[in-house]
Amino acid sequence: MPRGIYKGAEERRAYWAMVLPAFLLYLLVLAFPILLSIILSLSNFNGGRMFGGDPWRITGFQQYAKLVTDPQFWLALKNNVYIVLISVFGQLPLGFIFAYLIYRKIVKFGEFWQGVLYMPSIISVIVIGIMWKIIFSPSGLIADMMNGWYAGSFSRAIAPVFNVPGGFTVTDGTLRQIIAASDPAALSIFTNPVAELKDLILSYPTGELPVLKGDLVNLLARKWSPDFLAKPDLAMIPIMFVVLWCWTGMYLILFLANMQKIDVQIIEAARIDGASEGQVMGRIVLPSLSGVIVNAAILCIAGSLNSFALIFAMTGGGPGRVTQLLSIYMYQNAFIGSPDYPLANAIALAIVIFSFILIGLTKVAEKRYGGRE
Amino acid sequence: MRHSALTSPASRVAGIVGKVLAYLVMGIFALMTISPIVWLILNSFKSTTEYRLNKVGLPREWIFVNYPGAWKIGEFDKLIGNSVIYTLGATMGIIFFAILAGFAFAKIRSKATPLIYGSFVIGILLSIQSLMVPLFIEVSQLDKLLGDLFQLIGLAKASDFHFFYNSRFGVLLIYIGSGLPVAIYLCTEYIKSIPDALVEAARIDGAGYFRIFRGIVLPMSVPIATTVAILNITGLWNEFALINILVSKTGLKSLPLGVFRFSGALTADYGKQFAALVIGMAPMLLFYMIFRKQIAKGVAAGAVKG
Repeated sequence: MPRGIYKGAEERRAYWAMVLPAFLLYLLVLAFPILLSIILSLSNFNGGRMFGGDPWRITGFQQYAKLVTDPQFWLALKNNVYIVLISVFGQLPLGFIFAYLIYRKIVKFGEFWQGVLYMPSIISVIVIGIMWKIIFSPSGLIADMMNGWYAGSFSRAIAPVFNVPGGFTVTDGTLRQIIAASDPAALSIFTNPVAELKDLILSYPTGELPVLKGDLVNLLARKWSPDFLAKPDLAMIPIMFVVLWCWTGMYLILFLANMQKIDVQIIEAARIDGASEGQVMGRIVLPSLSGVIVNAAILCIAGSLNSFALIFAMTGGGPGRVTQLLSIYMYQNAFIGSPDYPLANAIALAIVIFSFILIGLTKVAEKRYGGRE
Repeated sequence: MRHSALTSPASRVAGIVGKVLAYLVMGIFALMTISPIVWLILNSFKSTTEYRLNKVGLPREWIFVNYPGAWKIGEFDKLIGNSVIYTLGATMGIIFFAILAGFAFAKIRSKATPLIYGSFVIGILLSIQSLMVPLFIEVSQLDKLLGDLFQLIGLAKASDFHFFYNSRFGVLLIYIGSGLPVAIYLCTEYIKSIPDALVEAARIDGAGYFRIFRGIVLPMSVPIATTVAILNITGLWNEFALINILVSKTGLKSLPLGVFRFSGALTADYGKQFAALVIGMAPMLLFYMIFRKQIAKGVAAGAVKG
């Protein structure tokens, strides 16, 4: 073997030639930005040239003081927590259950279900965000379907009033029946509903019953109008639904692939010895996947703390900032209107720190409660 | 007695009920998954007027003009071209640099490995999206510095010099950097499984490290390269957060950026809007249909955070 000083030098040269390109790119894209965000969040640099431009200096922790007193920040953090929660306690269990159903062949056509459920994860989140924005919009699919349903149930409720043999008569009783079926919000246009409704109905000519019915539906049936601005917590529900809709399939695939590594004989033996499906799942499959589940949880937390594009396309943080997230809040401070780079950098660092804290907690939980591998 | 749990009538009934329940849950979720996508595709064949009146049903009149209209307004030929360049260019770069570095980490002993490899592994946890602001500031400052330098030499005017911002090259570099941590982790772990004896034998025969890389490591890494490629192609094709801050020139935009711009410009023209969305998801759906198995494998292998 040609060992010697020469070989060591060649080895070292080759090593650095192979590692350095990747490491420089790593520094450029990950390490320096973190360093920069630490420096800039402590400074008053707000655009222009860092070198040779207007002087800027380190001003201390005032950005962080600003953050903790900013209600926008806490709202964004809360919304982020919602997304973390639905991801960890929605996507993961659902993905696991679906994977188990396919793995144990409790449902047939596993390939098909897998193929369908994973599909949203492959589509651009921009397309998905805009699609759901249109579906949830006040003139969108959900509103349309809900309004149709409300109108239908209203017509059914008032139908007995009109379907009287020999024509209907307007009495206080029938009016009360109509009012009882109406949306209270729609009735608020009347000061004295019974009397005014009577006048209104009597103003229609006798032959135009269908017109009257249609107008009553339009006027009095409930309308679907979730007031997201007044109820900010409600505004996160569609987003949480879409998050669940979008990525559950990914965890299904992840869990299924790892379940298929389990020795089938163990499960078969357990089944023959009388173990139920529930016992197989709880005693065999779940423990042997504990490491994968922790990894998935970490993936999930990191992903949902950083979620940006989907919600950016779907709501842009609106209406009126009620669906604000940390990343969107950061984006707005840096790129919308007059920039506030120090604050934006403080948010960036806060996101990084939160990610590490949550991931650390997950690891601690794994050590204490799981990790039987 | 041993088979009692499987054959007793009570447990058989429970089994059937469980099966029905399983199919029900699975069916409902699958239906919920697929129906918005089908709805979107169907509505791209309605005129905007028809959409306003008929949101739920099939198109009464199938209209195809939305597609050529959206294609032209959105300049989708350019967008898709750019997306192909970014995705394939960055994916090839990631694979090359990751196998190169992975080979060094796995087969060449060095005191620097724990530190550098360790920093890549920590990097897996970091999401670059949260760093988009400092990243943007960094590249624009670098552009200014490089611009000054080039002006000093007399090659370009500092004001219109862009190396990173609004440049395909800049996007590619940043995409490659962002994909490296996961890719290097996967490649290093994979190359560790190549027998040392193979490398040593080639060394004894007098082969340099780069010849070993080309002749042995690269060909043997095809399976892991496929996994890395699948992961990055799907990820980069749909990437939005970074390119959104790196590119403002229309001619350099990628498909997701173009779709996003389209939705802002033409909110009221639902017909074309839906067509644009379908165009936006069609390439990936096609890719998915062809490579479904490989994608599933890649996703399972690539979930390595932590």
